[in-house]
Amino acid sequence: MTAPGPDPDPDPVPGAPRHRTHPITPLVTGWKVVVGIIAVLTAQNIAQLANEFTIRRALIGLGILLVVVLVAIILSALSWWFTTYAVDEDGVSVHSGMISRSREYAPRARIESVSIERPLLARLLGLAKVRVEVAGGGESYLDIEYVSSARAEELRLGILEVAAGTSAASSSAVSVEGAPADETGAEARAALAGGPTAGSSAAAGHQDSGDVARERGGRLEEVLYDGVTDGELIARIPTERLVRSLVRDLGFLTGIVMSVVGVVVAVLLALWQEGFSIAILVALAPTAIAVPKYVFGRIDSGWGFVSRFSERGLRMRRGLANTRTDNIAAGRIQRFDLRRPFLWRGPGWTAVSATVAGIDDDDENGATSVLPVGTREELRQTLGRLSAPLGTDDDLATLEHLLTARARDLPGLRTPVRWYWIARRTEVSILLSGALVHRSGLVSRKLSIVPRERIQELRLEDGPLARRLGVLDLHVEGAGDSLLLENLRRDDALAVHAVLAADARTLRRYRDRESWPRPALAPVGTAARSTGIAAGAAPGNAPEQERPAASAPGPRPDGRETR
Amino acid sequence: MTSSAHDARPPLPTAMPHDAPPTEVSDAAGARLGEQGLQPVSPKLVPARYLAGIPGYLIGVLLTIGAIVAAVLTGWWWLGLTAIVPLVLVVQGLALTPRRVRAIGYREGAEDLTVALGIMFRSVHTIPYGRVQSVKIDEGPVDRRYGLAKLTLSTAHDGAGVTLPGLPKDEAERLRALLTARGVELMAAL
Repeated sequence: MTAPGPDPDPDPVPGAPRHRTHPITPLVTGWKVVVGIIAVLTAQNIAQLANEFTIRRALIGLGILLVVVLVAIILSALSWWFTTYAVDEDGVSVHSGMISRSREYAPRARIESVSIERPLLARLLGLAKVRVEVAGGGESYLDIEYVSSARAEELRLGILEVAAGTSAASSSAVSVEGAPADETGAEARAALAGGPTAGSSAAAGHQDSGDVARERGGRLEEVLYDGVTDGELIARIPTERLVRSLVRDLGFLTGIVMSVVGVVVAVLLALWQEGFSIAILVALAPTAIAVPKYVFGRIDSGWGFVSRFSERGLRMRRGLANTRTDNIAAGRIQRFDLRRPFLWRGPGWTAVSATVAGIDDDDENGATSVLPVGTREELRQTLGRLSAPLGTDDDLATLEHLLTARARDLPGLRTPVRWYWIARRTEVSILLSGALVHRSGLVSRKLSIVPRERIQELRLEDGPLARRLGVLDLHVEGAGDSLLLENLRRDDALAVHAVLAADARTLRRYRDRESWPRPALAPVGTAARSTGIAAGAAPGNAPEQERPAASAPGPRPDGRETR
Repeated sequence: MTSSAHDARPPLPTAMPHDAPPTEVSDAAGARLGEQGLQPVSPKLVPARYLAGIPGYLIGVLLTIGAIVAAVLTGWWWLGLTAIVPLVLVVQGLALTPRRVRAIGYREGAEDLTVALGIMFRSVHTIPYGRVQSVKIDEGPVDRRYGLAKLTLSTAHDGAGVTLPGLPKDEAERLRALLTARGVELMAAL
């Protein structure tokens, strides 16, 4: 696997200039360490500390704290000094470490996406973090933290260009769109293209072009949407809809009500049993912090969401306190998940998240959510840009039907076993010519769409009970999540397995990349460009063979270009 | 695509496509899932597994003896019942290892590799050559003694990958070379 790790080859291009991150970085990172230490110390002993409070102890404590702060900042400063990054035509590299040096390297063919994150503190200081996502499990990313916001934008454009393999001749293609905001992008690109050759003047150069960008993008919109102003508007979520969507999300509401009720009951019980004490408060602190944090996280991950489509894919911006802009290229999406909670059925809202190899969304910060709560039109725009056609006459109507109809009315594969009566009524899998669609969920309906060309491997699972009931489980494994089709009839499971296995081995070969399916609504230039990205991603390309992939059953790649 | 068509009932495919390929995984009554056409792994894996399992068996036997002795010494008969768990583990290990090894098999297809494992809980993996991201060969000390090797394949799917134990060394090497060569030839994008 090519997860970023210490690179055996120290520096592929010795001449590529290495940059340091922004000089305020040690303050931002050092601050985090200090807060962490204080939090751990106080959370564990707050009751004791409060009991034994004296002025002298407080002074000693403050003194120690000061020393800790100083040490933390000095350490951060040292690590800042030894952290350098470089972007060259082979990829992105980050060198760090003073005593044990590490060199992380993201080869350009493996770069999946670039996002810019602005945590609250960094945002106040005008800094941003650039995260380069690389295909691979676990922590497969490179972080460049922190650089100034304008520099982050430059880096994003530069890295995406490197990933697309078009560093030299792309400015003409960009300026076609002609939006005034685009000029700042071209400017940034020019600055970056000049950077590697200009060498030592790069540091001064990026400062300059940062100022230029700030001047030109002085408009309110530029600030409001963190520079996501160029390209075609796909979705913009008004705050009102976001709040209403949260209020209408029963799972979200019950979770909060349950935890609040739990806290109140716990407090009352404790008061009734042993009266008031600090220990109760300390014990409840995690819940008291977690619930607002979760609520705020949900609001944050959809606040001010705007997505626009440009030649680099879908650009999204979101966030209230911590803002982030993400970039997802259509060709890199492995799977879509559509979710429609019970009370969203009336207004017809849908949440869409996309799986991209390498992007983990454990901390629920919304990196993979491409549409937090969208109307039908926004769903159509988003999926039309990102997803290859599903192979039906009207994909959106099909999806709408799959989400609104009762699962038992849908034709498709479901378990034959009477005992699994919930699954019989809620879970159904439908094999469309472009994708395998799995509908699940009793109250909150969920639709998982796995494009058939994205299947990595298949697994059939058999067990004593399954043999008895005459069923089989089929795991459809993509890059990232896997989809489980549970308890299908044995011959159904084997038939689907045969079809999907044929897809997995014949579709999406590099040598057939001209005929890969493309999103229906994407402009022509985009399709060509995304193919270009993929072409760059084939390092050791195969010798030509005469076997066409169009012999695959189901999706006929050449018939699906519905432009 | 129209945005207001949620009342329409678009036609959905109700059955398998007509040009569906024939099933490749056999499911005959009385035979294991996908057993047909599988190539077994080396029978030397049976002694290798016994040898590798010796520490486990010893611990199991000691636990059994300990439980019985404790029951006799204390006079609490129910202490003897705790002997059942290690005893069952040891006995099933000794009795079922040959069958388990015989249940492991693989098949090199034209464009994919099938690996099947397990008797009661059986899983059949299908991995297209073009999707293989890495191939690993492991030889533990016991395996080396019997001239065996373990092949681990992984795709871009998160997870441990598919492990095929008990291959003769040169067969493992041949499979690795085949997978690499076919993988480059048929390479598919993520």
